[in-house]
Amino acid sequence: MTTGSIHNKDKFLNNVANRLGRKRRKEGVELPKWSKLPQYEVFDGLSQDELLAQFVLQCDSIHTNVVVTSFEELGKIFPEVIEDLGGKSIVHWKDPRFQEYGLLEALNKEKEEGCSIYEWNPDLGQRNIDKAEQANIGITFSDVTLAESGTVVLHSDNGKGRSVSLLPEKYLAIIPKSTLVPRMTQATDKIHDIAKENGRMPSCINFISGPSNSADIELRLVVGVHGPVKATYIVVDDR
Amino acid sequence: MGIKIGNDKFFERVDKGINDKFMRKAVVEAQSRLEGRKTQTTEEMGNWEDWRDLSEEIRQHTLENLDYYLDQFVENVAKQGGHVFFAEDAAEANDYITSIVKKKEAKNIIKSKSMVTEEIGMNEALEELGCNVVESDLGEWILQLDDHDPPSHIVVPALHKNKEQIRDTFQEKRKYDKSSDPNELAQFARKELRKDFLSAEVGITGCNFAVAESGTVSLVTNEGNARMATTLPKTQITVMGMERIVPTWKELDILVSMLCRSAVGQKLTSYITGLTASKEEGDIDGPEEFHVVIVDNGRSKILGTKFQSALQCIRCAACINVCPVYRHVGGHSYGSIYPGPIGAVLTPLLEGYDDHKELPYASTLCAACTEACPVKIPLHELLVEHRKVIVEQSGKSSFGEKLAMKGYAFAASNPGVYKVGSSSAPSFISSVAKGKDGHGKGPGPVKMWTDIRDLPEPTGETFRKWYANREKERDQS
Amino acid sequence: MNVSLFLTCLADVVYPAAVGKSTVEILERLGCEVDFPKKQTCCGQPAFNSGFHRESRDVAKHMIKTFEEAEYVVSPSGSCVAMLKEYPHLFEDDTDWQDRAEELANKSFELTQFIVDVLKVEDVGAELNANVTYHTSCHMTRLLGVKEAPMKLLENVKGLHFTELPNKQQCCGFGGTFSVKMVPISEQMVNEKVQHIEETDADILIGSDLGCLMNIGGRIERQGKPVKVMHIAEVLNSRAEVKTWE
Repeated sequence: MTTGSIHNKDKFLNNVANRLGRKRRKEGVELPKWSKLPQYEVFDGLSQDELLAQFVLQCDSIHTNVVVTSFEELGKIFPEVIEDLGGKSIVHWKDPRFQEYGLLEALNKEKEEGCSIYEWNPDLGQRNIDKAEQANIGITFSDVTLAESGTVVLHSDNGKGRSVSLLPEKYLAIIPKSTLVPRMTQATDKIHDIAKENGRMPSCINFISGPSNSADIELRLVVGVHGPVKATYIVVDDR
Repeated sequence: MGIKIGNDKFFERVDKGINDKFMRKAVVEAQSRLEGRKTQTTEEMGNWEDWRDLSEEIRQHTLENLDYYLDQFVENVAKQGGHVFFAEDAAEANDYITSIVKKKEAKNIIKSKSMVTEEIGMNEALEELGCNVVESDLGEWILQLDDHDPPSHIVVPALHKNKEQIRDTFQEKRKYDKSSDPNELAQFARKELRKDFLSAEVGITGCNFAVAESGTVSLVTNEGNARMATTLPKTQITVMGMERIVPTWKELDILVSMLCRSAVGQKLTSYITGLTASKEEGDIDGPEEFHVVIVDNGRSKILGTKFQSALQCIRCAACINVCPVYRHVGGHSYGSIYPGPIGAVLTPLLEGYDDHKELPYASTLCAACTEACPVKIPLHELLVEHRKVIVEQSGKSSFGEKLAMKGYAFAASNPGVYKVGSSSAPSFISSVAKGKDGHGKGPGPVKMWTDIRDLPEPTGETFRKWYANREKERDQS
Repeated sequence: MNVSLFLTCLADVVYPAAVGKSTVEILERLGCEVDFPKKQTCCGQPAFNSGFHRESRDVAKHMIKTFEEAEYVVSPSGSCVAMLKEYPHLFEDDTDWQDRAEELANKSFELTQFIVDVLKVEDVGAELNANVTYHTSCHMTRLLGVKEAPMKLLENVKGLHFTELPNKQQCCGFGGTFSVKMVPISEQMVNEKVQHIEETDADILIGSDLGCLMNIGGRIERQGKPVKVMHIAEVLNSRAEVKTWE
């Protein structure tokens, strides 16, 4: 990858250092030991089942339906959820987990019943976005799931287009129960480790908590503005 | 737009605000709802003060090492193919942004909400170029359609408008033909803006926090508009104030949590997006080209002064949502895109006292703002600090006030003088206590006082007399 | 226990004897020796809050000297005690005075704070038959951090029928010079405060700071509303019959 350009850095940063009354600091700055770390107290010691209970509770207040199912029952529950969301057209990530969880098969069945199914395809360029824009439902897996805030965390990748969770009218996230953690802290700790190892960050990491909404008109909550108008989660007990 | 809004004088603006009945009702409701939700989400944490302490430490440490973390941030952006421009002022920032837009031959630009782009007047600069610049935050879009009405709140910019006014604007500007139901209005905006998102060549965003260790820009929204603006256009330009930085993702966690809870009482908003430079090879969506513009525009002058803590601000508006002055005068009275307590502190720092000398006095120093601030900016103390600067350095305090304060200090540090003053006070007060016709009597401040209130009527003996008599009696017995 | 009374300028100059008198009587009843250093003036807050810090330093020095001998300094005002606590910051480049300021700050208490936290008394044997509400002043709650003490004491006053003031955390619009510099805004704020007081149906508004009481009371008088204002010292000193300033 070619390195990007940086303009005016030294002049700007020398001035900053100057205003702070000292020489430029280019190295040797370490994070202090913070006096308090309250973030680790949240849901500390909770079991995966207890985290799930908290997660379900929180989803209620972010206008998101949650369906909890076993790995075995997923194939039965999935079409019901699709029907509930109005079926018609689906766009989903190209992600091996769809195969592992038997969802490709389930999606094929939907196709046979007349539903348009599109799997994100990095080779097809703009067509992906057009498909996502027209789709009724976008489906992704969750990479990390936050109990406290009812959040699914998505790391972008070639097959994991950003548009899938954004452009369709409805959004469906498949959540392996094992991805549940107490809160944002555990997710950002992992990302911090990637950054520290100097690995390439996913170019886009999204923390999604329910459908898009706005309270810009008289502070009245309107669900569904630019992103999906409805969000549903299926939590799968993957043990 | 710039920081300053409108040309009315301070008390003219206040008068307009006080007489805007809808706006006042809206503000009172907004304060009670936003503050109520904030209190609920912070109290349930049980250790909110620990979170505040940690947040303050993070912000202080970052500011003290701002050059280091900015350096780290931009090197990481560049390493991953992004471009960085450091802009000393608005003109430099706009020059760079317009040069990119020209190079891309872009006509359609979609924006997500950003205070700093308002501050530097970026939209105007792009419009001069002949670009169609569209605000995508619902509140900002409403204001933009309504002939660029300025924002009155940093989180809920169109707070001062009611749904009927919004419907009328939509009708007039976009041939809207439905009701004033917020759902219908929002659905209309969704449809209209979807076209703009799909056709935009350049997306411009602000930045809630930039992460130094990875070169990541984070954006916090509920509507999803920042995601749209960074998913579809081929070029992304992010404009950020230079203080908007955190060392690592661990600190991002804390400050994003504080921002969401303090601003809207949510644990997290619907969308928090971390963007690291342009899309990866093989990715379909996301920008091909990524630029970050880091803006000083007066901020570095605040570093190293007693006002440095003002740069800790994370733009959550918690101070605005509890301010009893904002409650009655609304956002436009501050004459700045930054209203409320933080606006009264920040605006004179960024733009000088000339146009904003009343702002530091538009506070009772009740400290509700300081108590609400998630990063513990001592806002009411900074307002006093402004007054001190006005008195000691800028020479902008009035002659009358100087005289009064010197006289007061002389009396209050010389008990002999104080006693003469205090013993004649009751008879003086009696003479002006009741403004019978509702107008004030007496000199200067006393008149201002009695314009709207009575003074207590002193009756009977003073404390000093009572105490002296009692001592005398005791001596005799 | 020896207590020096810091009366505050408003109680000294603007108000009749009742507030100071009540403070002395309550403290004496609780076993304190009370003296009144006659050279005391004002805490210096008007100058300080207006940005005249050089001038407020002069006032502070005078007050520090006046109360140098005191064991405890007690005052019927949360705001003025909060100002005394600010003194050490005024002398950041003068360690001698800063030490003396620190000493004064450490031994100064607001009246209800002193009774509850130092004397460890929560029932002062007061009685007042009235419908009342209470205004929590901003400086006392937020700057001095005294929130519980006045409530504990009021709970034990016989005969009080207490209704909480809606939006009690909100400033009344006094703010010292704010009340005369920003009259139109101050007016809106105090109007809202009076409206909330009326909603409680209280006959008496109690407060712990004369600045707020003067502002709210002055507005109530001007509007001709039938609500009296009383300083908490007067309430805590009440015995059997109702006494107000009128």
